[in-house]
Amino acid sequence: MKFGEKEGIVDISDQQAGAINRAPMEDEFEPMLELTPALVQKRRSQGRIIFDRFMRNRTAVAGAAVLIFMFVFCFLGPYITGHNQPDTINVSNVSQTLAGPSLQFPLGTDDVGRDELARAMAGGQVSLLIGLTSMLVAIGVGVGIGSIAGYYGGIVDNLLMRLTDVVLSVPLYLLLFVLSASFIDHTPRSVIILIAVLVWPAASRLVRGEFLALREREYVLAARTSGARNFRLMFRHILPNAAGPIIVNATILVGNNIILESVLSYFGFGIQPPYASWGNMISDGQGYFSVNPWLVFVPGLLIFFTVLSFNLVGDGLRDALDPRMTER
Amino acid sequence: MGRYILRRSMQAIPLLFLISIAMFALIHALPGGPEAVLFNPRLSAAGRAALRARFGLDDPLPIQYLKWITSALQGNFGYSFATNEAVSSILARRFPATLELFSIALVEALIIAVAVGVISALRQYSLTDYVLTTLAYFGIAMPIFIFGLFAQDIFGIWLHWLPTSGTTTFGVTFNAFNAAWDHFNHLILPTSVLAITFIATWSRYMRASMIEVKRQDYIRTARAKGVSSSSLVFRHALRNAVIPLITVVAIDFGAVAGGATITEGVFAWPGMGQLFLQSLDSRDYPVLLSILLLSAVFVVAFNLIADILYGVMDPRIHYS
Repeated sequence: MKFGEKEGIVDISDQQAGAINRAPMEDEFEPMLELTPALVQKRRSQGRIIFDRFMRNRTAVAGAAVLIFMFVFCFLGPYITGHNQPDTINVSNVSQTLAGPSLQFPLGTDDVGRDELARAMAGGQVSLLIGLTSMLVAIGVGVGIGSIAGYYGGIVDNLLMRLTDVVLSVPLYLLLFVLSASFIDHTPRSVIILIAVLVWPAASRLVRGEFLALREREYVLAARTSGARNFRLMFRHILPNAAGPIIVNATILVGNNIILESVLSYFGFGIQPPYASWGNMISDGQGYFSVNPWLVFVPGLLIFFTVLSFNLVGDGLRDALDPRMTER
Repeated sequence: MGRYILRRSMQAIPLLFLISIAMFALIHALPGGPEAVLFNPRLSAAGRAALRARFGLDDPLPIQYLKWITSALQGNFGYSFATNEAVSSILARRFPATLELFSIALVEALIIAVAVGVISALRQYSLTDYVLTTLAYFGIAMPIFIFGLFAQDIFGIWLHWLPTSGTTTFGVTFNAFNAAWDHFNHLILPTSVLAITFIATWSRYMRASMIEVKRQDYIRTARAKGVSSSSLVFRHALRNAVIPLITVVAIDFGAVAGGATITEGVFAWPGMGQLFLQSLDSRDYPVLLSILLLSAVFVVAFNLIADILYGVMDPRIHYS
């Protein structure tokens, strides 16, 4: 039994495909025969099928586990561990700053004697929230405008395509730096808006492409024939079928946005004190690397594992949501 | 083919104009324009008016844009707010360093990505393949500046193997050979860091495309004819497999440029990326605007080149 599978709910096609691909071994036929009646009885919902397929992908499940851990670590960690004072200076004397790990401070202290573990958790809250909310804003706007552009075409489509052409032709980081250096007040909220403003065009182009392809399908024509209005066609018929690529894109976007935030904060254009974020923790710690390398490695590795996990989950969802992918 | 190239080039021109308008509007919409940066706050009203007239700030924005774009097309990008030097001469001074970093990293990334992709594809589902795939995932997930910092910290500060910033070691007199060696050492970290992210993504494309080609009938035919396996890989499979990669590389040009900016910032590499970051600090808008526009010109040009190369390398593609 593979990881994550429950008894009696094995995908028939997977079993058959597996049996055909592998050299038939005698003992493999028996469980298949045993499963057959259960397979006939148990029908799984679409969501269940996708969930089961996702759970069979070990790297994606590992990614999801790391993400759950990250969220628990950042949002519940301060309450569980009691390290909930990221801004308090805990030392009375300079020689106690930049301390290595100890029982009192498991990740040591930074250059002014703040608790690095508490800062890692507080900074993680900011980084994760920025990644998630900027994704939600970008995908929300992207779906709204992309669906109109893809469905109706015309002037909205033209404007959207020209806008994305412009945005995609200028290196993203340069645009991001220029805007953040001048426009924003470096609070999490404005960083979220800034990132969303720069990534929504790509998201809407994706949605537009899906709508363009799907609006010509026969089931849409069928729905139209039976009297469905445009709005219903767009959001009840086309959007659910475009959901797969959008969800995958959204998942990977969270990781990308966390990178964008950290780059901004590292160069001093993003989150600034009093807020901690993983990005500005790295830039703070950089100068003290030879004394306390933890100050760079801890936030750096937290970003790395978070982004990696979002990418793995995104890839897992891509496979799970694709109806043609039955065998992995 | 000639007609196609011409038509595609013609399409790029309105896009570039659109970009120039957008960037001009963006820079001018920024709070704290030239007045806030350049003008002494204690300047009298008359002096202020004189300076406004001198900088052409009294004209309406569209007129300012037209004046700027006509002189830009003639090679005059205005003058730096910070040093009053012509932007074009600043850019000319900074460009070689960026070109060096960029082209070495690009060649490095391409060679390694193709090699990794081919090895992965030929040994699909082997241990080597899994290890390379895992490394590629790591490379994609690692933000380039963190890579740069870790590399600096590990190879520079801990191991003392390589220099961590700049292009030469200060305060030492070298003979020609040692100077070249010193410069080479300075190149290793920044180019590798810039290359790594793109090795990771491009090797994935290369792997997928090589696997696709490997299954084709003509490969089986060649094998049946008795073509040696090295010739099969290099002369038959690789040529076709590399075509999709060209588009990806050209499309990623903007991302490489962005990555180069960050790499230059991390490694204090005296190129255009570092100039960009410095100009941001001093709100040097003419310089910023020129770099934005120049990078967009390169991105658009590379997309165009990709389209054309695609046709040159794959004669099956016909353009109407």
